[in-house]
Amino acid sequence: MAAEELPSEFDVVILGTGLAESVVAAAFSRVGQRVLHLDRRSYYAANWASFTFNSLLTWIQQHHEEPQPEELHDWSSLLEEGEELIYLSNTDSTSVRNLQVFCFTSEEGEEAEAQSPDAPNTTEEVSAGDAVKETSETESADSKYEETNQKPEEEEEEEQASQTEGEEPEADQPTPTAAQSQSEPTKKKISYAQLVKEGRRFNIDLVSKLLYSRGSLVDLLIKSNVSRYAEFKNVTRILTYRHGQVEQVPCSRADVFASRQLSVVEKRKLMRYLTSCVEETEEQRAYNGRPYLEFLCDQQLGNNLQHFLLHSIAMVTEDTPTEEGLASTRHFLRCLGRYGNTPFLFPVYGLGEIPQCFCRMCAVFGGIYCLRHSVTCLLVEKETNRCKAVIDSRGQRISCSHFVVEDGFVGADRKRLATPTRFLSRAVLITDGSILPSNSDQQVSMITVPPVAAGCPTVKMVELCPSTMTCMPGTHLVHLTCQSVGSAFEDLSPVVTRMFRTPQSHDQEKNPSVLWCLYFNMADGSEVKGHDLPSNVFVTFGPDGALSHEHAVSQAELIFKKILPEEDFCPPAPNPEDIIYDGENTSTGGEEEQSLQTEE
Amino acid sequence: MAGGSVFECKEYLFKVLVIGELGVGKTSIIKRYVHQLFSQHYRATIGVDFALKVINWDSKTLVRLQLWDIAGQERFGNMTRVYYKEAVGAFVVFDVTRGSTFEAVSKWKHDLDSKVKLANGNPIPSVLLANKCDQKKDSSNNTALMDNFCKETGFLGWFETSAKDNINVDEAARFLVESILANDKGLPYEESNGERIKLDQETVAAESKSGCC
Ligand SMILES: Cc1cc2nc3c(=O)[nH]c(=O)nc-3n(C[C@H](O)[C@H](O)[C@H](O)COP(=O)(O)OP(=O)(O)OC[C@H]3O[C@@H](n4cnc5c(N)ncnc54)[C@H](O)[C@@H]3O)c2cc1C
Ligand SMILES: Nc1nc2c(ncn2[C@@H]2O[C@H](COP(=O)(O)OP(=O)(O)OP(=O)(O)O)[C@@H](O)[C@H]2O)c(=O)[nH]1
Ligand SMILES: [Mg+2]
Repeated sequence: MAAEELPSEFDVVILGTGLAESVVAAAFSRVGQRVLHLDRRSYYAANWASFTFNSLLTWIQQHHEEPQPEELHDWSSLLEEGEELIYLSNTDSTSVRNLQVFCFTSEEGEEAEAQSPDAPNTTEEVSAGDAVKETSETESADSKYEETNQKPEEEEEEEQASQTEGEEPEADQPTPTAAQSQSEPTKKKISYAQLVKEGRRFNIDLVSKLLYSRGSLVDLLIKSNVSRYAEFKNVTRILTYRHGQVEQVPCSRADVFASRQLSVVEKRKLMRYLTSCVEETEEQRAYNGRPYLEFLCDQQLGNNLQHFLLHSIAMVTEDTPTEEGLASTRHFLRCLGRYGNTPFLFPVYGLGEIPQCFCRMCAVFGGIYCLRHSVTCLLVEKETNRCKAVIDSRGQRISCSHFVVEDGFVGADRKRLATPTRFLSRAVLITDGSILPSNSDQQVSMITVPPVAAGCPTVKMVELCPSTMTCMPGTHLVHLTCQSVGSAFEDLSPVVTRMFRTPQSHDQEKNPSVLWCLYFNMADGSEVKGHDLPSNVFVTFGPDGALSHEHAVSQAELIFKKILPEEDFCPPAPNPEDIIYDGENTSTGGEEEQSLQTEE
Repeated sequence: MAGGSVFECKEYLFKVLVIGELGVGKTSIIKRYVHQLFSQHYRATIGVDFALKVINWDSKTLVRLQLWDIAGQERFGNMTRVYYKEAVGAFVVFDVTRGSTFEAVSKWKHDLDSKVKLANGNPIPSVLLANKCDQKKDSSNNTALMDNFCKETGFLGWFETSAKDNINVDEAARFLVESILANDKGLPYEESNGERIKLDQETVAAESKSGCC
């Protein structure tokens, strides 16, 4: 565990532990390359990370602090003949912004939970008016946070008064299980103190995506045997929001037949449509370039089916061209039934597991890992414009043949910036129940929410239950994502207010209550930008807004193929049970080295 | 986890971590325990995730013990969650001939307890292994000291082991499995969490094998 000196030579140095970088790391290590994998952060997975409730509060805190620009150390003394330095950016302050936290549950038990360090992060019952006014300008988001910092203290007395009639041993009581809280007619709201106390039961992802059961990430996990490190849950149902109602979308044959919303005629039409669109036809080709919506209209399916097919199955917008809409419909259908009734899987313990699974594979094959450890600059041979070595944050010169770096570490001076960065809007809610209660309280739902008003974005929502190991019993974790138009709060709070119970919503008695929520914007990684960097330096980009992981996987594969075109990308790792120890068979009794041959 | 058997045999799969400083003998202990092998030749551990030992615990219980070794990365103390995830027991190993490896024990233990807990929030059972005891020079008896250390640091107990001479390796494993089983009985059955899916390589291997000579 000690801080030893690192080896001074590697084949590949990788900075950043997001999904794309981690897949690159595993791929190189697996074929025998010496990999050094670093991250400046204290946690794995960069903007793909998942946090316990308490570490999320710390993360929020960090993003509110002014980044401290480290002093630029002059490393020119380490330069050799004909080399020059390229400094990397040492603050990653730009990829996450506009954080806003609201706590709509009482702070009770705070006294007993004196260790809860982050209570100031929450705002007690911010009134709708306040929040909207103060955040109408994006810039004011941070100052608002500062103000609300004070609130819990001011309100403490009031709080206590309102609580004294209550049951004091609250804090020590076991958390209500899901079953209990469902069956009790007047369920007790989970307090903020309980969220903190049970904080380790949360694994809250910064990104919200799903795995298509026949998508490239599932294929890669299987091909490489990295799948041995992860377990998944099926997404059990697809929902959509229409006319102020949450409805289930029938997508499998069984669903269609079981559906109670659909008439017999609709059922037949839907089945016919789903069967027919698998094959490309002349009729479809005639619509190329024209909106998919138009194609659907002309199929005379009716409004119900049209909505389901456009928003929940193709998951496209009204102006998406027909060929694209059909392609994603086919992908959806191909993925049905491989593992369950919907096309999607979600990793137990959250998406943040996936990059770590690839890191583990890299490490098992000899990759070296250091967190809180960065690269401050690159040493470039002027003549060849190649990066010969890097200088790490401890001032050590480390030679490498290739350097892979996450975009966030590349200084603005190296970016050929044409357009301002695009952002994603994200919200994370901890709620006290499911958005569509059913006979099972362990549903994992994908919900598509079409624009609630003209000019509003389409919102993708994923609701997770405790058996995904991402939230404590008695709660659900809801992730909302859209392309940002305004700040995350501006984009998503109208949807939250409509679909959940918050102090701002009216007449939503039957909707689940929001106990706590977080809004933030994250840079959209689909914006691939050009860089002025040496030819053996490769840049990866963070999470994009798509539901799938194709973007990260394809970046990783592309980088690998550029550097090692002849090598297999992530060949299967030997099964631990198939590893033969030479010592058993060698009659000479000489060296008893283990080898990594598997039985073939 | 369990594949039912004709008799009322209970099958368990336990993930056990083996941690400790570089070169203390983690891999050697695993190899001794699982493969009955020992090699003097030191080689950094590469390409091995875990080893599986199947124990016929008693007539009604079968235990599959997955022993997770640590790989090169851990020298710098940054293991991924994947390594810790759902472990139910641990061995922390040090080398009796190198005092510095004993000093690191409490750090490893602390790290372990901060990263993995049993479902009920308690630390996972862990056992301390004083390895390479075949090389111990002085025959001084510090049993009381070690007992006390274990109590303070939260180890269930400790064993002097030698992977080389096969001393106490089986005993230590038996001791750990006993307490894992005891824990397991005390815990509510977690089947309410429903099915989890493992993605497996689909069995296309059959065809590719046939051409082999
Ligand atoms: C399993 C795990 C491994 C980690 N590995 C690293 C690492 O290698 N490097 C690094 O820098 N940071 C790692 N972290 C992150 C770092 O340890 C966190 O900052 C710390 O766990 C947060 O502590 P806490 O006090 O908030 O919560 P704690 O209560 O310490 O967190 C406990 C966490 O463990 C999980 N957990 C509990 N029992 C189990 C179990 N049996 N199986 C799986 N998960 C369980 C909980 O869901 C929760 O996420 C890891 C975190 C976890 C949970
Ligand atoms: N004499 C003696 N030597 C041992 C014993 N156990 C291990 N060794 C030797 O110690 C060296 C290191 O053993 P490993 O099992 O590779 O140690 P490790 O902890 O797995 O090392 P890393 O994987 O590099 O962290 C080898 O040369 C072993 O032969 C033991 O019980 N007695
Ligand atoms: Mg080893």
